[in-house]
Amino acid sequence: MIGFIKKDLAMIKSNFKLLGVLIFVYAIMGLMGKMDISFILPFMCVMIMISSFSYDNYNKWDAYCISLPNGRKNSVKSKYITTILMTLIVSIITVILSFIISYVNTKTINYEQILVTLFGTVFGTLLVLTIMYPTIYKFGVEKARIGIFLLVFGIVIIGSLLANYVDLSNVLKYLSFLENYLIVILIVVAIIMVYVSYKISEKIFSKKEF
Amino acid sequence: MENILEIKNLCKKYDNFELKNISFNLPKGMIMGFIGENGAGKTTTIKAILNIIKSYSGEIKIFGLDNLKEDKKVKEDIGVVLDDMFFPEILTPNDINNTMKGIYKNWDSKMFYDYLKEFSLLPNKQIKTFSKGMRKKLEIATALSHHPKLLILDEPTSGLDPVARAEVIQIFQNILEKDDCSILLSSHITTDLERIADYITFINNGEILLSKTTNELLDKYGIVKCTEKEFKDIDKKDYIKYKKSKYEYEVLVPNKKEFKTKYNISVIDKITLDDLMVLMIKGEE
Amino acid sequence: MEIIISNSSEIPIYEQIKEQIKIKIISSELKEDDLLPSIRTLAKDLHCSVITTKNAYEELVKEGYIKNVPSKGFYVAKVNKDIAKEEQLNKIEEFMDKAVSIAKMNSINKKVLNEILNILYEEDK
Repeated sequence: MIGFIKKDLAMIKSNFKLLGVLIFVYAIMGLMGKMDISFILPFMCVMIMISSFSYDNYNKWDAYCISLPNGRKNSVKSKYITTILMTLIVSIITVILSFIISYVNTKTINYEQILVTLFGTVFGTLLVLTIMYPTIYKFGVEKARIGIFLLVFGIVIIGSLLANYVDLSNVLKYLSFLENYLIVILIVVAIIMVYVSYKISEKIFSKKEF
Repeated sequence: MENILEIKNLCKKYDNFELKNISFNLPKGMIMGFIGENGAGKTTTIKAILNIIKSYSGEIKIFGLDNLKEDKKVKEDIGVVLDDMFFPEILTPNDINNTMKGIYKNWDSKMFYDYLKEFSLLPNKQIKTFSKGMRKKLEIATALSHHPKLLILDEPTSGLDPVARAEVIQIFQNILEKDDCSILLSSHITTDLERIADYITFINNGEILLSKTTNELLDKYGIVKCTEKEFKDIDKKDYIKYKKSKYEYEVLVPNKKEFKTKYNISVIDKITLDDLMVLMIKGEE
Repeated sequence: MEIIISNSSEIPIYEQIKEQIKIKIISSELKEDDLLPSIRTLAKDLHCSVITTKNAYEELVKEGYIKNVPSKGFYVAKVNKDIAKEEQLNKIEEFMDKAVSIAKMNSINKKVLNEILNILYEEDK
């Protein structure tokens, strides 16, 4: 298993520079009190990992990896673990930076807002992973990219329609009792959906023939 | 003799191609040459052995174990070179070493770097800078460096020049001498196999035409060259296939010694695997 | 030890190996109790298949030229040189017989035959 993770990391290491640059830009912009782009950072992790699927595909690694011990299971597992690890590490860096930026700009640390933003983005990132990975395993990277585009597009349209016709404040009122548990609920839901997604991907890949 | 690989009645159907009842055995410590035209079913058979395709009927046993049930255990001891499939080309041989260390229990980094040196491959260069021959050599180095007991090599010499081919073949023989390894080697370059392969398995159009020791094939089989009149006198059961050309009949006979005693036809040529393939595929019965 | 194999010869490779080892034993180039290379090493060095060298050794064992000491290897056996030589003489006789019959068929006389033999014999030196 470790081997597969090392391979995925080796494959995306050229992207680490890009990630570093983004983090730097975020820090500068934050310190200058300009736009907050922290939400991009965890999301980038998934995007970078998705490019690793393209590399795999191009050299037919998927067929080759099956010839390795436990290749079918471990190659899927490593994609999930590598993505999650990367997202977590980048998130921690982002949070620390956010604390610093917050302190420099306002002399206090706005813990709540920063953490809520962070959990929101990490949740969003994991949601993308949850949907994307099984889709990639089923249909390939190219089709999955189109799929995710349509999906995001659809959500935006439906969301804006809902916002127009439904009074969200009412809904939020009903849901307000959840507020105290929001983070716990987000974490639990995230774990469940990623696990389910992983199981689905594993199943799809275990049946795949090349 | 103990069989390292046993394939029994392997069948797999595609829309335009079918593997029909593939059966053959590879005894321990031997090299088997797996020959046939492009598209004859070599790669498909190899993919079935490695579970890269799964939905087939029949039974495949490796080291006496079922290849599907004991997948992980079996694969620890198999080294593979697959045609056109390998590590993503942005990786370097160093990355491959790191990866394989975490995959195979018996991965031998020293051995891997020794092979890299022997093949003059730079460990820190990306695979995409390698020529086709260099890539093949890297694949071979990777397949050999965990002391496998069975090597499954699909066209390992394709894309190599004659010097590199000889070099690689010599390495296969070295392994056979030192480690107790068995090799299934598919190739359409049959001259590589003629001398070193102990067994030849010949697949055509999804069917095994024959699976025999190389000596039996090359020493017993022969090509009789004769006139039409002479050909008409040959008993049907004394030959396998024949090919008519402008000046002569080429007749594939399974036992040239017997043939010599029975008929008074003087030209009986030694056979090469290429001749055999051509006559078996293109000849008439 | 030198063994030369021809790929284009009509004689199977295992027989070529067998004959050449035999000659080395008869000529005492290989002496009694000399250890022969293992089947696999010989195959590697001669660049031929394992079955080929195995066949050669098995036949040599059968004919009494070498012996197999399990888990140790193949050793040159005690060979009765006279019998071995006899065998070689028989072989020569066989070929000569063919030569003579061809000569007789084409009414070539004994003198010419002898001359050919002399030339061939000297040539090899």
